[in-house]
Amino acid sequence: MTEYWKSLNEPSSEQDEFPELLQIGSHGFGRRGFLKAAGFSFAGAMLAGCSRAPVEKAIPHLNKPEEITPGVAYHYASTCGACSAGCGLLVKVRDGRPVKLEGNPQHALSRGALCAVGQASILGLYDSLRLKSPLRGGTQAGWEEVDREITAELDAFRRDRKAVRFLSPAILSPTLRHMIDRFLQGFPGARHVVYDPLSCSAILDAHQATHGARVLPHYRFERAEVIAGFDADFLGTWISPVEFTAGYAAGRSLEGEPARFSYHIQFEPRLSITGSKADRRIRVAPSELETVVAHLAALIAMKAGAALDLGPLGPPPAPLEPLADRLWNARGRSLVVSGSQDVTTQVLVNYLNHTLGNYGATLDLDRPSAQRQGNDRQLEGLIGELREGQVAALFVYGVNPVYDLPDGEALARAIQKVPLAVSFAERLDETASVSRYVCPDHHYLESWGDAEPVSGVLSLTQPVIRPLGDTRSVLESLAAWQGIRKSAYDLSRESWQASVFPRQTQEKSFQTWSDKAVHDGCVEVAPARTAIRPFSMVAVERKPPARAAFELVLYPKAGMLDGRHAYNPWLQELPDPITKVTWDNYACLSPTAAANLGVSDGDVVRLEARGKTLELPALIQPGQHDRVVAIALGYGRKETQRFAKIGPAWLHRRLSVGEDGYVGKAASPLLAFSGSTLRYSAVCDKIGKTGRRQELAATQHHHNIHVPKELGGERRPVIEERTLEEARRRGPETGHAADLWPPDHAVPGQRWGMAIDLTACTGCSACVIACQVENNVPVVGKDEVRRQREMHWIRLDRYYSGEGDSLTVAHQPMLCQHCEHAPCETVCPVLATVHSADGLNQQVYNRCVGTRYCANNCPYKVRRFNWFDYPHEDKLQNMVLNPDVTVRSRGVMEKCSFCIQRIQEARIEARRRGEEIEDGDIRTACQQTCPAGAIVFGDMNDPESRISKLLESPRRYHVLEDLNVLPSIGYLALVRNRDT
Amino acid sequence: MATVYSVLRRPLIEGDKSLSRVTEDVCASMERKPSALWWGAFLAALTALLAGVAAVYHLLTTGIGTWGLNRTVGWAFDITNFVFWIGIGHAGTLISAILFLFRQSWRTSVNRSAEAMTIFAVMCAGIFPLIHMGRPWLAFWMFPYPNSRGSLWINFRSPLVWDFFAISTYFTISLVFWYMGLLPDLATIRDRARPGFRRSITSFFCLGWDGSYRTWLHYETVYKLLAGLATPLVVSVHTIVSWDFATSVIPGWHTTILPPYFVAGAIFSGMSMVLTLMLVVRKAMRLEQYITVDHVDKMCKLILVTSMMVGLAYLTEFFTAAYSGNRYERFAFINRALGPMGWSYWVMVVCNVLAPQMFWSKRLRGNLALVFAITVFVNIGMWFERFVIVVTSLHRDYLPSSWSSYAPTSIEIATLIGSFGLFFSCFLLFCRYIPVIAISEVKGVLSYGRSRPGGRS
Repeated sequence: MTEYWKSLNEPSSEQDEFPELLQIGSHGFGRRGFLKAAGFSFAGAMLAGCSRAPVEKAIPHLNKPEEITPGVAYHYASTCGACSAGCGLLVKVRDGRPVKLEGNPQHALSRGALCAVGQASILGLYDSLRLKSPLRGGTQAGWEEVDREITAELDAFRRDRKAVRFLSPAILSPTLRHMIDRFLQGFPGARHVVYDPLSCSAILDAHQATHGARVLPHYRFERAEVIAGFDADFLGTWISPVEFTAGYAAGRSLEGEPARFSYHIQFEPRLSITGSKADRRIRVAPSELETVVAHLAALIAMKAGAALDLGPLGPPPAPLEPLADRLWNARGRSLVVSGSQDVTTQVLVNYLNHTLGNYGATLDLDRPSAQRQGNDRQLEGLIGELREGQVAALFVYGVNPVYDLPDGEALARAIQKVPLAVSFAERLDETASVSRYVCPDHHYLESWGDAEPVSGVLSLTQPVIRPLGDTRSVLESLAAWQGIRKSAYDLSRESWQASVFPRQTQEKSFQTWSDKAVHDGCVEVAPARTAIRPFSMVAVERKPPARAAFELVLYPKAGMLDGRHAYNPWLQELPDPITKVTWDNYACLSPTAAANLGVSDGDVVRLEARGKTLELPALIQPGQHDRVVAIALGYGRKETQRFAKIGPAWLHRRLSVGEDGYVGKAASPLLAFSGSTLRYSAVCDKIGKTGRRQELAATQHHHNIHVPKELGGERRPVIEERTLEEARRRGPETGHAADLWPPDHAVPGQRWGMAIDLTACTGCSACVIACQVENNVPVVGKDEVRRQREMHWIRLDRYYSGEGDSLTVAHQPMLCQHCEHAPCETVCPVLATVHSADGLNQQVYNRCVGTRYCANNCPYKVRRFNWFDYPHEDKLQNMVLNPDVTVRSRGVMEKCSFCIQRIQEARIEARRRGEEIEDGDIRTACQQTCPAGAIVFGDMNDPESRISKLLESPRRYHVLEDLNVLPSIGYLALVRNRDT
Repeated sequence: MATVYSVLRRPLIEGDKSLSRVTEDVCASMERKPSALWWGAFLAALTALLAGVAAVYHLLTTGIGTWGLNRTVGWAFDITNFVFWIGIGHAGTLISAILFLFRQSWRTSVNRSAEAMTIFAVMCAGIFPLIHMGRPWLAFWMFPYPNSRGSLWINFRSPLVWDFFAISTYFTISLVFWYMGLLPDLATIRDRARPGFRRSITSFFCLGWDGSYRTWLHYETVYKLLAGLATPLVVSVHTIVSWDFATSVIPGWHTTILPPYFVAGAIFSGMSMVLTLMLVVRKAMRLEQYITVDHVDKMCKLILVTSMMVGLAYLTEFFTAAYSGNRYERFAFINRALGPMGWSYWVMVVCNVLAPQMFWSKRLRGNLALVFAITVFVNIGMWFERFVIVVTSLHRDYLPSSWSSYAPTSIEIATLIGSFGLFFSCFLLFCRYIPVIAISEVKGVLSYGRSRPGGRS
């Protein structure tokens, strides 16, 4: 083709304008080539990427449900299932997962508080060793086949009239109780045997004798002005400690309206939490307890002019006469309680309460408690049947008899021989592992349910998360085996409609009633009627006490109870409120007894009782009776094997379990049935040193407020203590010492502070766990605690003064004091700990380099250092972590933040609404859970706030005030109702 | 030749050395093959160093939890070792700067190795503040540098920051001072060396020293200036180190006596360490005529003086505690002596106050084996002094509920051993490659060439 040109100036194709550029194009890899290659690769990559990806069910809320905002927590009312007290809960749910349990303030019994065990029970939900499906003969099975087989066997038993037994603890749920009854009705001669692992059978038996009904009275400590406790740890572990603590604190308040202060005397063999709060505490060996009660009964009978034949008694012990006077003067306003398992003692206690006119006042029989229903006599009968192989079907729900009861091994063999042994255990516990079928129940946060802990108080349980495993509510299981295919929700609603709704009159429509009930979590209805006849005294047979050189006392610890939560590392690491020991049980001996035996702390002792031997490290416990050796129940559980390697791994790491692979030793073999009840005390036949040692992991040793005698013996002004008289005499305000350093930073807005009432605080340690859950405090394991590296942000300091019967105990919650002149702040080289504008001492984790200078310079030693990267490998367990709180890494300092995330949340919410933060809007985790209401948080700049009022109290003092670090926490002095 | 000696004062250098003899004597050890003794010592030191490296590796990969510290005792071996090594490092500046300004010519035989010791000791000391951090990889946050964090500065109120400046300054000055003093000797080595590595490296480091009058003039001026500059550091460094404790609120730490007490203690421990090393060096390197019994005698006297200053400080602390009426303060000191860790206090008293009292006797000062033993005791005692201050004050402070105890782990012990390994490895290399005696300075104090009898002008 001919190419024409227009002018001579027109560039030819050979003479391009940018020859060097075009050259690149004409030779080698050009722009077009590049684009082609790129296009091809891109398209290829696209095609390659078009393979079907695995489907993940992460569906965003395209249409956001109206009531759910991601990142905002919601609270659902429910009922705590951690023990049989039935406290009310508000479950904090964040983005679909429950992260924290709080007490439900609308609950009639627990009134917004929760104990340590309740707080910790949320971890059970995220326990990766919880059973995920039913088991048959130890291997996984499906629900259909398990149901088919069980139903077939049950049909056969029904035909052959074989013995069917259902074993459970006190069941609070009316729905479940009804369901069990209905299930057992189908079998001739079937029986429901109830036992409480921490039995109060004697109280029920005594009421059977004196009032004609096996009921447990509802104790009203808030109404009592004189309380006589006979080995009843009602502030710690006995029946319903949260409710009792609240009542007890309400009855001993100088700030309350009206101000009143009860008198509390405690007779007990070992130092319990309750004894540590008593105004007078007298050590009594278990064998002497009955005599003491009998003496008191005789004295009161004399005052009442009634005849009471108690056989020969001799002169009463010295403290009893003034006590009898006090009780008599406070007729109708006093309360005698006993934790004894001796029916005679309990009959005498009933006699005392009756003669003092306390029934109907401080003991409520019209609305009896259902928190203990166990019948040890029936249990003994069942064990006999099992041994003889008479039981064809055994259903075990909520208890662990192989562990709980003496002769567990024999019982295990007997259960193995039961043709149809079914356990509803959530975990493969001692009993479940010998049962043929395990039909795991939901965790209580996964299921519908209800509880009526005290007659007329109905507390509802609603699920807050879809079941994590293929578990099934026990209600549904029992229904399924009767051929009823209904959900627990429907079954519960039916039951409420039939038996609860008619007991109230406010609401006409069941739907409205149930909506409100589920929302509130707790409703009060008319109590169910129980046939109780008036008190009539029965003849008591008193046996002469068997005096022995040593007596054994088995007791539940505040965190561990009977061991049902032994899988829970938080509770294992919770220092015992009295001994401060974690991760172990031990043989408590009084200092005198220990000296006589030549035993010191940590010496392993061997003791023999009831033909069994047990080897445990000794712990010297001031305030214990000199002839008593006390051992905690609940240890040596099979489920504690998992803790062997808990905590950080390093060169010198030691295991958290003993040689047998368990945490602690089981003391239940030393229990025994005697006189129709399970006895927690026995004669200790032999006790002696083994020569071995086992170091206990205690967070605090036997230091008291006095420095050791050989080093001066001075009393430190850490605890201020007053008698009631002194406290009532409102002395003039001690003027604040002149300060050389004027406040250099104005705090114009809020200034956060805290008041802690040492009179109210019982040392129960609920706050410790609440703080641990709220603030993602790690568990470090026994070895680290032994090395004094526990991480709890709040600790309960326990101080002793005096000895023996005159021993007094003070509990002091100790946490970051948020000092205005904080010694930690000046020494940090990198400004990682600084003061905020609202008076908080803040720790900036990101900035911390970990010199530990701040911790050294803290006079209160409340700072905690991350010595290691604490393990967070358990993905399921990590679900419990509070998303609002950083999980700290290795090498940084941490400490109490006054729950700054809660302050921020309240502040943001107030700003959003355009309002001021109200007093009481912010409650720290420790304050929220405190059953005694001992902790108050608030704005010190607001003169009307509750904390400002409390800090004006003449009882207010600061710990280590003379250092002039100006703490933001004021303590209210410990008041005891006594003369000195 | 001067053969007549003063009856009043013995010559500083014995053996009537000629100038070239001095050079020969000092350079001999560098120019011959190292002895089996040297190799044995070096391998031992290196093994100790490796143990320390292994321990620090475990520490850095695992966490501070590998130490025996706890919630109450947040510092123990780490800061004890730190203060101990800083204290050791004090003799160098004292000998080279203060004694120089006071015209104490006997210092010439020991100043070089004392300064070297200072540098190695400060190196050892510097490791501990670094590794004692929870997150040592963020140690650079201690520098006040403009940054993108807001700009976030360091806390100028924190004694740890002051420490950081004090120690880095001290290390820099000590190093420069030591290096300056080395120049003429480096030139000597250069001149003696055959062409090769040794000659090229020494000619590089001697900064073209030509021995001219000008060079000497500049050298002397700089040396004097540096001495003046270094003198306040002798007092400042340990004063500032003591503020780590003195500015805190912990009874046993919070006391105004700490700065002079620390400075006296540092000179005390530094002198002892110098003497320990010198006694070995003079024997092993056959330098008895350079480091004479007279030198030992003078240093013993210094040790005696500082020992009594330290002893006085111990007593004053108790007096202040008793007189203050402060119950915590009083308890801290009773507990220090009679509490569960009282043994460490008595180790300290015996080693630091009682043992050096033997130096009152001239005869005992001349017994070199005994002097060696006492200096080792003093080193042990001074380590325990820091341990007592750090640990026994912390372990029982205000609230009895938090009282605890402390025991080191194997990792901490290995780290301490490792720091000695580093120190001795460096010192042995120093003995092998650098003149242990300042040749040029010693030549200045020889009796050689003096016209007047008496050995000294």
